[in-house]
Amino acid sequence: MSRDTAPIPFRENSARALNDAALRHALVVATDAFVRLRTAAVTSIPFEDWRARASDIRMEVLEGLPQYVERFTEAATKVGAQVHYAVDASAAREVVASILTGHGVRKVVKAKSMVTEEIHLNHHLEGLGIEAVETDLGEYIVQLAGETPSHILAPAIHRSRKDVGKLFAEKLGVPYSEDPAVLTKVARKALREKFLAAEAGISGANFAVAETGSIAIFTNEGNGRMVTTLPRLHVAVFTIEKILPRLADLAFFARMLPRSASGQPLSSYLSIITGTRKPGEATGAEELHIVLLDNGRTRIRDSEFREILKCIRCSACLNVCPVFRKVGGHAYASTYPGPMGIVLTTLLDGMERAHPLLDATTLCGACSEVCPVKVPLVNLIRALRERKVEMGFTSGAEKHAMTAFGAAVGSPFLFRTGQAMWRVLWGLARHVDRPPLNRLPRPAADTFRRRLR
Amino acid sequence: MTDVSLLERFIENVGKVSAEAFRASGADELNSLVWRIVGEDAAGKVSVYCPRVTEKEKAVNIPPALLTDNYVSASVCVEEAFAAVAETGSLIWSSRSGKPVQGGLLPAHHLAIVSAEHIYESFEDLFAALGPNLPTNITVESGPSRTADIELTLTVGVHGPERLTIIVV
Repeated sequence: MSRDTAPIPFRENSARALNDAALRHALVVATDAFVRLRTAAVTSIPFEDWRARASDIRMEVLEGLPQYVERFTEAATKVGAQVHYAVDASAAREVVASILTGHGVRKVVKAKSMVTEEIHLNHHLEGLGIEAVETDLGEYIVQLAGETPSHILAPAIHRSRKDVGKLFAEKLGVPYSEDPAVLTKVARKALREKFLAAEAGISGANFAVAETGSIAIFTNEGNGRMVTTLPRLHVAVFTIEKILPRLADLAFFARMLPRSASGQPLSSYLSIITGTRKPGEATGAEELHIVLLDNGRTRIRDSEFREILKCIRCSACLNVCPVFRKVGGHAYASTYPGPMGIVLTTLLDGMERAHPLLDATTLCGACSEVCPVKVPLVNLIRALRERKVEMGFTSGAEKHAMTAFGAAVGSPFLFRTGQAMWRVLWGLARHVDRPPLNRLPRPAADTFRRRLR
Repeated sequence: MTDVSLLERFIENVGKVSAEAFRASGADELNSLVWRIVGEDAAGKVSVYCPRVTEKEKAVNIPPALLTDNYVSASVCVEEAFAAVAETGSLIWSSRSGKPVQGGLLPAHHLAIVSAEHIYESFEDLFAALGPNLPTNITVESGPSRTADIELTLTVGVHGPERLTIIVV
């Protein structure tokens, strides 16, 4: 649970986003490209069959989650990892901090991990005097800018190349450039130094395998490989539902995740890490700590919203969502934006804080259609909306309007009267010099029922 | 025995992930290919890291003056992959080979040698061949290091190699 229970000002945030022309342009370019790449990638595979199978595997894990956690812990311990179980965000922060301070670590490199965003790990480490540098280019950009990611896959899509050029010039003291190739080389050089100086690496995991105790990390840049092979100490933090039963399941999900995320058959790099360095090996951390985080997952698993935990964080639902595409990730003011974010944030942070997000949807269903693990996002959002009404988080005006509408459609007489009154009221309202009254849509010249006859 | 269609599928998919693939029929051809490809890199500035663990790595003829043991400062890494997967045009690196998997990550150019008989059709086949005791690190490499984090403009060589060349023997 978040301590902050003030409702997320989604309407105000979206109004600000909609007035930002540069942001809207960036969002259109990015989400269109992601949608195009994903569509091309899934047309060459039997997507419907595959996602049914993917959904079954994820449900199998959720059904037997306590046993899978146990099996994973046992297998990972056997190959040399030290597994810690953290019940919530603060417990996870404490575990990571004590591992790092116990080894006298001051410099850490990080591979992109939404879970460490969820638990605000960097901020906590900073307070302890530990420098934690993000090494994914997008994460590095938002970290330098003092921001949070606006997209779970491409954290800096809200920033233009000019923004990044100015940011690098200001923070890294390099000459201004707006050429992505030049900017990438600047980051390569700056981060290479950080990699070689780091005393520990922190990563998340895209998947964990119960059968072998392995964790799997997909990246395109190679930063995941560096974080997990260069420092002698590796700390991996992820939530319990990331587990897959068998290694063969990883082979299957390696086809689903990159296709749904970036439209690639496979990301440039996939690291499968199984325990610590053994005799005769020249790669692998000498000490591997795995922090298995619950942070509300067991509670969600035991509720009617269980299926949100099938999510593999591909971000396909963000890119197709008509609301996300217009307002971007920051409007949601939560770690996870877009359709999957609405559901997860409401369940993790509570209705009091997150209820405004339940309006951030048209219930059009595009998200449910692209989901590679068949999370019924629309149904889950609708169920949460019902809960919102039950819990009394609906404004009086909306409640009265809905009651009136319900009564009107229940009676042909009231409905006809209402239609006639609306014509009169609209004529008056459009002369009022105050939005939204003067912007209400003009009633149709003829009613639909009459035209149908 | 080498499955020709498997080899062809591998080479085709290597092309799709922006890597280059060449074929060599024996040690001599491999040597001259390595030479030609390494020579394409900026002349005079080439420094080669070659772990010299496998037979094929030992047989590669590189002038000692160009060799370095330090993969952090090397400009090219020449090494033999543990295996390959045709489905995605991927190279497989295993920590059990006894050489640092990160050796192929830091230099700007990665020149990989792979034996045709080590190409698997799919990851399922590869995992089945690996058995239940996995090496500490399995790295799957499919094309050069890339990012699209700035305005979704594709850029290569973020943290890892900007060029990946594969010679199938």
